[in-house]
Amino acid sequence: MYSDLLHALPDVFAWTNFAAVVIGVIAGIVVGAMPGLSATMAISVLVPFTFGLEPLVALGLMAGIYNGAMYGGAIPAVLLRIPGTPAAVATTFDGYPMAQKGEGGFALQVAVVSSSIGGIASAFALMLLAPPLSKVTLLFGPSEVFWVAVFGLASIIFLLGGNPIKGLISACFGVFVSVIGSDPIYGNDRFTFGQLEMLDGINIVILLVGLYALPPVIDLLETPLKTDGVNSSKLGTEPIWKALPRMNYWKTWLRGSLLGIWIGILPGAGGSMAAFMSYNEARRTSKNPEKWGEGEPEGVAAAEVANNADTASALIPALTLGIPGTAVAAVMLGGLLVHGLQPGPMLFRDNPDIVFGFMWQFLFGAILLVLLGGSLATNSFARLLNLPRPLLGSVIIVLMLIGVYSIHGRMFDVYLMLGFGAIGWVMDRLKFPLPPVVLGLILGGFAEENLRLALRIGRGDPMVLFQNTTSLILVALTVSVVVGPTLKKRFIDSRKKA
Amino acid sequence: MLNIFKKTAIAGAMILSAGAALAEYPEKPIEVIVGYSAGGGTDVMARTAAPFIEKYLGDGASLVVKNMPGASGQIGVTEAANADPDGYTLGTFNLPGMMARTIDREAGYDRDSFTYLANVVNDPNVIVTSKASGLDTLDKLLEEAKANPLAITVGMSSLGGDDHFALIKLEQATDTEFTIVPFKGSAPARTALLGGHVAMGILNISEVAEFQDQLNVLGVATKERSQFAPDLPTFKEQGLDLVNGSMRGFIAPAGLPEDVQAKLIDAFSQLSDDQEFLDAMAATANPVEVVTGEEFKQLTSDLYDLANGVWQTTPWN
Repeated sequence: MYSDLLHALPDVFAWTNFAAVVIGVIAGIVVGAMPGLSATMAISVLVPFTFGLEPLVALGLMAGIYNGAMYGGAIPAVLLRIPGTPAAVATTFDGYPMAQKGEGGFALQVAVVSSSIGGIASAFALMLLAPPLSKVTLLFGPSEVFWVAVFGLASIIFLLGGNPIKGLISACFGVFVSVIGSDPIYGNDRFTFGQLEMLDGINIVILLVGLYALPPVIDLLETPLKTDGVNSSKLGTEPIWKALPRMNYWKTWLRGSLLGIWIGILPGAGGSMAAFMSYNEARRTSKNPEKWGEGEPEGVAAAEVANNADTASALIPALTLGIPGTAVAAVMLGGLLVHGLQPGPMLFRDNPDIVFGFMWQFLFGAILLVLLGGSLATNSFARLLNLPRPLLGSVIIVLMLIGVYSIHGRMFDVYLMLGFGAIGWVMDRLKFPLPPVVLGLILGGFAEENLRLALRIGRGDPMVLFQNTTSLILVALTVSVVVGPTLKKRFIDSRKKA
Repeated sequence: MLNIFKKTAIAGAMILSAGAALAEYPEKPIEVIVGYSAGGGTDVMARTAAPFIEKYLGDGASLVVKNMPGASGQIGVTEAANADPDGYTLGTFNLPGMMARTIDREAGYDRDSFTYLANVVNDPNVIVTSKASGLDTLDKLLEEAKANPLAITVGMSSLGGDDHFALIKLEQATDTEFTIVPFKGSAPARTALLGGHVAMGILNISEVAEFQDQLNVLGVATKERSQFAPDLPTFKEQGLDLVNGSMRGFIAPAGLPEDVQAKLIDAFSQLSDDQEFLDAMAATANPVEVVTGEEFKQLTSDLYDLANGVWQTTPWN
């Protein structure tokens, strides 16, 4: 089972494949550092351009970008108190005060080392857990997959934080989009308005590019970022070998990694939640919790280790079951499908070199993060914030249009993408969360198709959905996700009264 | 000044295009429209066959594969049907899918929209059962199906495809009834079989060739044993008249000039004797069966009649 892992290693070191990871990491840091631009956006804009590339080059780029962006988000979080990616919100708590004290350089170094450790832990989790899990996934028939999809939808709606009602509305919109096209069993047209282009349903990449890339780009063009440059001029960066001995956060790193990995595996939850939980746990167990929020480096470490630890582990359900738990995992699956790699247990059997190579690329991406982001260029990456935003925005728009057009070579998709972009922009302004839309589209499709298949297998008897242990466990998990937060709130309220 | 250039250019272009009609076909690159994404079975067939067709057309002929995926191949085949019948646009053609789509929905083409060049691949159906089902011979399967109508669940890749027609033929020939579970594609259907979530499956031989130790493969729906699995008995040998498969070939728009049609069919017909081509196709799990011209047209017509007959009695949507 693990011998395939070693067998895949030589391919990873082919210079094109390795260069892809290096370029990906650098590009990821740049993207992550630009407030508003996220890994999801970068990868979805990239996917259409990878049609002609070797699979490992394409996947290496994606793995690199994902790792890089999760750290890149820390740069503006520390220097400007603007999280570069949603996952970097918790990094601002202690990172920004550090920068104000003139320790911005150290804060960024803590961030990059922690990110790297989180990424490495996550890559190991993927390598160790995915192969055995891929064997177990044969147990997942239509009724089990249906419940996984329902569980994923429930957790993204109720665990994302904020407002579950808005989350539910977003998810419903996504599920509605999943209904467009020919139905999965009979092939009847639904909401296609006689357009052949709509028969296959809405391509996930088109939705993602519209939803995730257009609103931030509009933002980019609209609001000039006030880079006062105050904090970036007093970074006080030491060489990393001097900074390293000052980082003694092993407990925090371990806890953050485990939390991040676990949250990554759960469908629906994502990096920002991992970072918050890790930050809270680390503060709760700290000897001097009162210093947190005033520039405690360990706070930066806690947040950054966790938001990188969910990267590779988010791919565990995606690669083994074919069910992506996060938007980024969904885009990466899209990237795999482009190369004819069907996720699921057969992937490990048919294309071991590619799937295990991809895992290695995650590991090397995480290691490269320290080399590229840490020792070489902490200071130069801090200057990224001075890039001219209108120029950047225009370049991204052009890439988006070309990319979406090239998926099927038709303008129809471009208009569709712009339409989704408009919807995304409005939703963004009204503070509707966007991840539930994407997961609604993906998991909604899974849920419908597998529910109908399961019912056919059971010849119409709904009890077929509750007939085995795996299904029942998933039902219990779903229920706990839905009622858990409410019960917890009641419990806390009643304790307050008493 | 610019105007003069323009006029000369237009005049030049007209002379050139007039010349093209007189010259020997092919004068320019021939476009082959594939209705599926790059990397799929049909695409692989087109790209594998292209250099050999170039060789047999001679005179530096060049084939350019263009992917127009979408709507189960319909976008591409509609484009090919409506192209100029000058021999410079060809298309791939899948049976029975392309004909079934003219029955179960409104299509922008029918069986008379094409010049039939050659069917190249015939991937025969196989009946498999999961190890968990215990139905490890055809007799056991049919016995169970007769004893408990509709109790056996059958995984397949879609309704209205070759798998579905194979099952209907089986049901008609043996007077049995099964419960159809149409997955989205053959890979998920096969995974469900491996996991024992459905008892039986109808797939194609190229899809199960490597899984013979994990599934019970009960037989193959060909007239003679398939080269892919020479040990696998046909249904005919087991006393069941069942021949069916998924076919992929090449068409051109209807109304092709006769000399062009003859030249193309001649090129395609040489494929069946080209060992290098046969090896390349075997390497990509594509069982070759070349049927050209009139015979291919007849084959399509027969399949249409079968599908239409099925649709009249038991429409699948």
